[in-house]
Amino acid sequence: MKFQIEDVTVYFPYDHIYPEQYCYMIELKRTLDAKGHCLLEMPTGTGKTIALLSLITSYCLSKPQSPMKLIYCTRTVHEMEKTLAELKILHNYQIKHLGPQARILAIGLSSRKNLCVNPTVVAAENRDSVDAGCRKLTASWVRALASENPDVAMCEFFENYEKAASAAVLPPGVYTLQELRAFGKEKGWCPYFLARHMVQFANVVVYSYQYLLDPKVAGIISKEMQKESVVVFDEAHNIDNVCIEALSVSVRRQTLEGATRNLSRISQEIDRFKATDASILRAEYNRLVEGLALRGNLPITDNWLSNPALPDDILKEAVPGNIRRAEHFLHVLRRLVQYLSGRLDTENVEKESPVGFVASLSSHAGIDQKTLKFCYDRLHSLMLTLEITDTDEFLHIQTICDFATLVGTYGRGFSIIIEPFDERMPHIPDPVLQLSCHDASLAIKPVFDRFQSVLITSGTLSPIDLYPRLLNFHPVVSRSFTMSLTRDCICPMVLTRGSDQLPVSTKFDMRSDPGVVRNYGKLLLEMVSVVPDGIVCFFVSYSYMDGIINTWNDSGILKEIMLHKLVFIETQDVVETTLALDNYRRACDSGRGAVFFSVARGKVAEGIDFDRHYGRLVIMIGVPFQYTLSKILLARLEYLRDTFQIKEGDFLTFDALRQAAQCVGRVIRSKADYGMMIFADKRYSRHDKRSKLPSWILSHLQDANLNLSTDMALHIAREFLKKMAQPYDKTGSSDKKTLLSQEELEKLGDGSMHEMSY
Amino acid sequence: MNNGAGRRINGGAEEDDDEDDVNGDLDAWERTYTDERSWESLQEDESGMLRPIDNQALYHSQYRRRLRSLLSTAARIQKGLIRYLYIVIDLSRAASEMDFRPSRIAVIAKHVETFIREFFYQNPLSQVGIVTIKDGVAHCLTDIGGSPESHINALMKKLECSGDSSLQNALDLVDGYLNQIPSYGHREVLILYSALSTCDPGDIMDTIQKCRKSKIRCSVIGLAAEMFICKHLCQETGGTYSVALDESHFKELILEHAPPPPAIAEFAVANLIKMGFPQRAAEGSISICSCHKEAKVGAGYTCPRCKARACELPTECCVCGLTLVSSPHLARSYHHLFPIAPFDEVTSSHLNNPNCKLQRNCFGCQQSLLDPGNKPGPAVVCPKCKWYFCLDCDIYIHESLHNCPGCDSLRHS
Repeated sequence: MKFQIEDVTVYFPYDHIYPEQYCYMIELKRTLDAKGHCLLEMPTGTGKTIALLSLITSYCLSKPQSPMKLIYCTRTVHEMEKTLAELKILHNYQIKHLGPQARILAIGLSSRKNLCVNPTVVAAENRDSVDAGCRKLTASWVRALASENPDVAMCEFFENYEKAASAAVLPPGVYTLQELRAFGKEKGWCPYFLARHMVQFANVVVYSYQYLLDPKVAGIISKEMQKESVVVFDEAHNIDNVCIEALSVSVRRQTLEGATRNLSRISQEIDRFKATDASILRAEYNRLVEGLALRGNLPITDNWLSNPALPDDILKEAVPGNIRRAEHFLHVLRRLVQYLSGRLDTENVEKESPVGFVASLSSHAGIDQKTLKFCYDRLHSLMLTLEITDTDEFLHIQTICDFATLVGTYGRGFSIIIEPFDERMPHIPDPVLQLSCHDASLAIKPVFDRFQSVLITSGTLSPIDLYPRLLNFHPVVSRSFTMSLTRDCICPMVLTRGSDQLPVSTKFDMRSDPGVVRNYGKLLLEMVSVVPDGIVCFFVSYSYMDGIINTWNDSGILKEIMLHKLVFIETQDVVETTLALDNYRRACDSGRGAVFFSVARGKVAEGIDFDRHYGRLVIMIGVPFQYTLSKILLARLEYLRDTFQIKEGDFLTFDALRQAAQCVGRVIRSKADYGMMIFADKRYSRHDKRSKLPSWILSHLQDANLNLSTDMALHIAREFLKKMAQPYDKTGSSDKKTLLSQEELEKLGDGSMHEMSY
Repeated sequence: MNNGAGRRINGGAEEDDDEDDVNGDLDAWERTYTDERSWESLQEDESGMLRPIDNQALYHSQYRRRLRSLLSTAARIQKGLIRYLYIVIDLSRAASEMDFRPSRIAVIAKHVETFIREFFYQNPLSQVGIVTIKDGVAHCLTDIGGSPESHINALMKKLECSGDSSLQNALDLVDGYLNQIPSYGHREVLILYSALSTCDPGDIMDTIQKCRKSKIRCSVIGLAAEMFICKHLCQETGGTYSVALDESHFKELILEHAPPPPAIAEFAVANLIKMGFPQRAAEGSISICSCHKEAKVGAGYTCPRCKARACELPTECCVCGLTLVSSPHLARSYHHLFPIAPFDEVTSSHLNNPNCKLQRNCFGCQQSLLDPGNKPGPAVVCPKCKWYFCLDCDIYIHESLHNCPGCDSLRHS
């Protein structure tokens, strides 16, 4: 269908549209007009992605004089593929209606692991080895060597791509990763480098968050994006954590040992070069003297991860004299590693600001701040000079240099925390030195500054006023949309008491109370007997889950549960969990029924959908607060309080509730679906907790369901499941339309649409 | 009060403990009210007055909707009149639950009885068998046959529930039986499923495909909640899946299976069936009954081909295998093929129009169509003969009579 939003004709590939999608598009359009940033919350299952894509592409089409680029960031490769598939449908539709002028180029960009077509390289098991395998075949000196010596292996795909030179372009169209690989194979061109090259010309680029947020990657991939771009962060409820992780480094004992090995290997290399070809090292020295650390025109394949600090903070100066010579630089690194391992030997938890750390570093090891800053670039230069291709072996020393550069660059917003052991396992010594970033706005600031519009969107962004503060920006629009439903297909409940009327909670002083554990067990037991197919049960942490399942096993509750449903458990092992999920799905399919025990903040809670019969009920046992005694969290809270005036309690509750909402949101992925959500903790009935849930859950949370005991919840569940099993009319009755056709949409004025959202 | 004090000791320490938790300690008289939930049959009108839910109007609107949906698909389609139906009754642990009063199984048994009678009334040429699932195993309670009494008696004797339920075992068993049915018969299974899971020995998906291949139409009525596997089974085999809200809804759902379903084109190959129309034996004659294997006096039917005696019609002759029916049976099946058109609703504006010849009485029962307040009440009109009928007569004509009195009297005059 095709309709008008103000002065833009929107092409929408489906015959019907949800009212909230229409509202969403209106808000988006206003953001684009205002050339500002925005925050939009809309529940999953309402077609956020297609609304977004269709509005932005239509906006570009209607304004051909000012070309705009869409940069769409997703969290996973799977989401990337889904987005591209939707875009493809949309693109076909637009071409059908507008003809060839609607042609665009849209590509997905991922790591070599996902794009490489060279069978020998892609066989490697992890990402770093694929990267290294590729470098071994394509680095400039390898290719130079190969031109003299035909025995040296090269990648034919890359050679063909190089040979085609400027002729190597993608014709317009939408390419998923799969299609990109197929195209590369057919033409014999390397899809990875082709995609890297085409990113600058594409109208739509879909890639992962890191490519924009992590300065190491962003520096080489996203450097040349134009200002007139729209950046979209989809599923962005955890964006602050992604930003923080991008600037945090942790150093363990293994890292230091690895780094020492790397250093001795580098020193061997240096000796070898000195013996055979000292001129190369001299040339490097001269280049550094001239201040050309790296910023020459390196061939694309020699491009390495760039500096971990943000672009504005990198000094545009020559590398200081004391590390210009390779041997001197090695000495500095040795001293640094030694100093770090000395610090790791501590027996107490230590917390230090970067300024203090740098001061003590310069007094004990004699390395000053400026030297630290240049560590990363200097190492990069050295590795290129030494023609090292197996970069995956050198990850440890890279981590150390990352650390050094960050610690040298930033004085505020970071802290250094050394813990001799994990708090939860005090008997096992596992010293770790962490440079943790507390300020999410640091990493995302360049994105806000550089691009015209940044859209942050997700199903759970409540409370929506906290995100602008955390990320330190000013959105022109921030709105939360509810879902228009033909029937009340979600049924959230707050369960505060067990069937014996005693309160249940995972509060620290209550969680090990046998009565509470038994009540949770009883709850699950009752629920498995009335809920068909799949149930998902989230716990607050792995250790709590282990404990409670043990108790249930001892008291026989687990056995009784197994009479009704099979039990599957998420573990920290990815393969095991995948297998468990597979079998869980099979049990649901075949009617045996199953329960999946999972952990909030785990992999399952973030990325796996339990839609339709795979999740008729999700029980959130407890409030998933972060481990509040963690030193890093405490430091971050302190920083947030001092810098952004966000109270500790507010942030903790916000963070716990968004995790809880994320967990229960797994259960419903479309409007035809239905599911129940039980928040099993007495703390959820308190207003300060509950009010932080997203509005689409809150609007279905009736007052009568706020303070339930197990038997009452059971009764509600029975009624709800029966009601939902009845056939219903998908389009909704006339007074409560949930699907709009083109005519209906045209009839609707803006006025009536506004009451949809608040 | 005693209870209140006890509770305060339990939960008094909690600051956010509310006082609405009285479910646990009710007096007996209170409990009866809680169980009946009689307040649920009340509704509030615009002025805030409580009144009983208008069941009459509700019932009629439901009926009209059903009629419309039935006829929208059934313009003039082939229907399977010779049905071989297995009723699968789940007697697992879940069937003994008490959310239906007095228990699920009692409700099921009661309505299965009504259903079997109604089924034979509407499908005189069809046959029924009963299978039960108990302790994970499926048993054949009665073989397929045409006598309602024998099925009902057998079922009432065996109503204990225990163990798990297995959909696959039941389907396998039924599939084995129905495979022997001649090709003109329509194979159907109606599963009354209480459990929420199925414990199967093998892959149920294979069994479903097998049922699909042998053209068995599987329908399920659930008593608790929607299960994916049941939905899948019904979708694959062309049956219907429904879940009962309460007892009356359950009755409605099960009776929906009494009229013959439309025959699916690939299933229904038109062919000729050999049938016998036996004579009723003279009163007082003594003969050995072929079905009970004993001598019986009087009222029986004699097979026209082999002269064996059968007690009831319709049946298959035990000796020569001929299908024995009576002509009223055939005639009774007839209305499924030629249903009377649904009556149109008379709009109030039409009734108020003074120019129009106003019929004040229902043509069926001769009762006045006017409300007590002399305002025109709801009425329907037959599209052919244009006579008016009241709502009750409308239902009676469509559900029981299958003839329109207006049209018939026109033909006579």
